[in-house]
Amino acid sequence: MSRRSFLRGSTAAAAGVAAMAAGLAPLRKLGEAISVDQFLQQHYKELSPADMDKVLRRIENEVERQYGVRPHVRDYKPMNGVEYVYALNVTRCVGCRKCVHACVAENNQSRDPEIQYIRVLKMPNGTFDVEKGDVNYAPESVPEKGFFYMPVQCHQCKNPPCTKVCPVKATWTEPDGITVIDYNWCIGCRYCEAACPYFARRFNFSEPTIPKEKLNPEMSYLGNQPRHKGVMEKCHFCIQRTRVGRYPACLEVCPTGSRKFGNILDPSSEVAHILREKRVFVLKEEVGTLPRFFYYFDV
Amino acid sequence: MSMRPGQKTNLVIGGLVVLFLGLAASFAFSPNPAPVRQDPALTRVVAPAPQVATLRMTAPQLAAGGGDASILDCYACHDEKKSPTVKMGADGAIVFPKEHADLRLMMANCSTCHVGKKLEVEYAKNGDVVMPKAHEDLLKMGHGRNNRNTNCFNCHSQTKLNELVTRDGTRLTFAQAPLLCASCHGPTYRDWELGVHGRTNGYWDTSQGKAVRQDCNACHDPHGPAIPQIIPFPGPKPVLTHGLGSAGAAEHGAAEVGTPKSEGAQPKPETK
Repeated sequence: MSRRSFLRGSTAAAAGVAAMAAGLAPLRKLGEAISVDQFLQQHYKELSPADMDKVLRRIENEVERQYGVRPHVRDYKPMNGVEYVYALNVTRCVGCRKCVHACVAENNQSRDPEIQYIRVLKMPNGTFDVEKGDVNYAPESVPEKGFFYMPVQCHQCKNPPCTKVCPVKATWTEPDGITVIDYNWCIGCRYCEAACPYFARRFNFSEPTIPKEKLNPEMSYLGNQPRHKGVMEKCHFCIQRTRVGRYPACLEVCPTGSRKFGNILDPSSEVAHILREKRVFVLKEEVGTLPRFFYYFDV
Repeated sequence: MSMRPGQKTNLVIGGLVVLFLGLAASFAFSPNPAPVRQDPALTRVVAPAPQVATLRMTAPQLAAGGGDASILDCYACHDEKKSPTVKMGADGAIVFPKEHADLRLMMANCSTCHVGKKLEVEYAKNGDVVMPKAHEDLLKMGHGRNNRNTNCFNCHSQTKLNELVTRDGTRLTFAQAPLLCASCHGPTYRDWELGVHGRTNGYWDTSQGKAVRQDCNACHDPHGPAIPQIIPFPGPKPVLTHGLGSAGAAEHGAAEVGTPKSEGAQPKPETK
């Protein structure tokens, strides 16, 4: 080997090694973002109770490390003989957006960038074109004369297009009617976001940030555990509240009592009465999604 | 057959008389007269008399125990012969004593001051009650979109202002106020009873916890029941320019409106 070819070869090799090291450098940060356990975790439905227990402890540890708050993470299971239905009184809603912000606080949504599950549409009286609705309204006080308000969130469809398009089955409908996402299994392809006719799904384009003091420590695996960058999320009827018999957060804060929630399989429930007696409609009925979220009018 | 007109008339009238008498006789002497239908008597809601046991408690004790303090006036605690002095502010309004600051209910309880006397109410030309100067800050009348219900005694008893009276004369305590509302707002009361109108908080599954219901006055001021305008919480930041509800984005100062449908080209189209 000549001196010339040796120098040329060794320079090329050194440059190659350096380039490779630089290329792999972001992987060193991977350890902070995702643990080995998290990476190797099985699909939600394949986890044994013992596995799930380990997963929940791991999430608790991770949240404590990140936020300095020891959370209470649980995996709430659906109840027998329960199917949730939501009913919203369009006549009474005043468009105050309290539900939007109660939802963000309850479900640990990212504050920056902002993620909100509920969109409150403002529409002129006498019209009903949701595509022409306005969510960005900012008057001094509500309700504004000549307008009505219609909050839209995940409709928890009986025939959901979003779960059908998921290539990895990371989202599915539970027996109690709630469509959930396994945040760990989601690959972030956003097919479901495109499939949803109600624009109910939100994507974490960047790592979500939540101020430590605003973290809700009562968490559920399929519900409000903190999400990571690159996964979908959406309204899950506050799984950590409703599966222990409580009302969802958006209903609790509604000042006008426009929001009604309950078990449709119980004929004496408020929602069962509404569906029997009131003038009820669903949004975009023609797309055949069979929502479990109903709108109704008074009188 | 030829008949004179008068004769023909007499014949018809005579026939009708005979027919009527026959029908009357058959009705009077029919063996089984049809029973007269009796509507069931409407049940009246009877207001229970205030219990002596609760009257012996002071109003703050009663209120602290979750009891109904509305049936009490000053003389539940004060001696009737040594009536408490009422202080008036410079504006003529009653200055509420500090020790009674927790008795918010009594602010609107007229009989705290007006005891046993029939109130003289002044009416304006249009029939509205003229609100006395002293009470302008206590009450704001505005019941009904067209102020059709501005007479105090449509709801209050004329001699005992801490008692409510419905149109049919049923006397009710303040705690039974929803029944008074129901006497005019029937469909709303029906909805409220079934849990469709008004807030329900707590637990949907009552086997695991309590569902908390509010009565009418929790949300509606009875003297001006319309829900006041409220300041809305802030909308999405930055302004939503995609999907449902983004129609008016341009008016709200959105930088880009009508961005292409292919969201893949957008780094952060929706939430940031």
